[in-house]
Amino acid sequence: MEVPQGEIHTLITFNISQWRAWAPGLQSAAHWQQWSHGERAIDAGEASPDVSFLPAMQRRRLSRLARMAFAVGWPLAEGLAPLPLVFVSRHGETPRTLEILSDLAAAQPLSPTQFSLSVHNAVIGLWSIMRGETAEMTAIAAEGDGFEHAVVEAAGLLHDGAPAVLLIVAEEHPPAAYSPWITDVPCDYALGLLLTPGDQWRLSLEGDKAAPASEPHALSWLRNLLANRSTFTHTLKDRTWNWQRKT
Amino acid sequence: MSNPQLNHDIKDLIIEALGLEDISADDIGDEQTLFGEGLGLDSVDALELGLAIQKRYGIKIDADAKDTRSHFTNVATLAAFVTAKQAA
Repeated sequence: MEVPQGEIHTLITFNISQWRAWAPGLQSAAHWQQWSHGERAIDAGEASPDVSFLPAMQRRRLSRLARMAFAVGWPLAEGLAPLPLVFVSRHGETPRTLEILSDLAAAQPLSPTQFSLSVHNAVIGLWSIMRGETAEMTAIAAEGDGFEHAVVEAAGLLHDGAPAVLLIVAEEHPPAAYSPWITDVPCDYALGLLLTPGDQWRLSLEGDKAAPASEPHALSWLRNLLANRSTFTHTLKDRTWNWQRKT
Repeated sequence: MSNPQLNHDIKDLIIEALGLEDISADDIGDEQTLFGEGLGLDSVDALELGLAIQKRYGIKIDADAKDTRSHFTNVATLAAFVTAKQAA
């Protein structure tokens, strides 16, 4: 997408009524506050979030990425049904992809379970089944500014009349085999936002070139939120997303 | 003719292949229904378990055969099926 210099292409407004985030070692709002002050770091480990609020028979098909998405989304969806959902992940469930491709390469039969879940919208499919949710749900894969594209999608659903929209962004550090190609997932993270109509937040897309964000946009957004910054930008290639918050 | 060790191995295989968290082999009865009622497995589990059994025991399962469904009734029927196939 080419964005001419100086032109504003998208301008949307919305409220963010609640958020939840998860990364290895960081679960609570207090943890993330410490993280934003540089007092706590994201662990490198393989920790998985606690999803014991789901029965074991339902949990068993949730990959680590799906667990991350459910861990941040489930508490935000509590008591709100129907609730449209926008799920965004650039790379999706890379461990599953590698496992299936490895079986193919070794001429082994594919696992029916793995195969049945090997689409980008499998996570929201499981979400729909487990919550009995039939509201509109979208799974997006976009470049490094997928977070902003998901917000645009969610704003569209609000504009359509939804009283609230759940947005979940989740990325998993990929298996080593992908490391030459996937360089924008420095750590595992998931962020859930509950968007409602309003004008507390403004997001616009501008053609100005600025320095690219130094961390994934969702984490940068959270860092700016916790630092109470009222304006900040995220730039990818020639796309600069201008975030503004009413103070 | 029942083989307690084979029954136990099949239970472990079910737990491992289907990712049954919080369940141990002792929680699955030899005669407990596996699909629908009972343990509560579904059609994707049936395919996964069929594949796991073929790999582990080196046998071929014909998915279209009429009696395949009855072999998957419970652990005891699966053990009898594996024993018969291996002897054949």
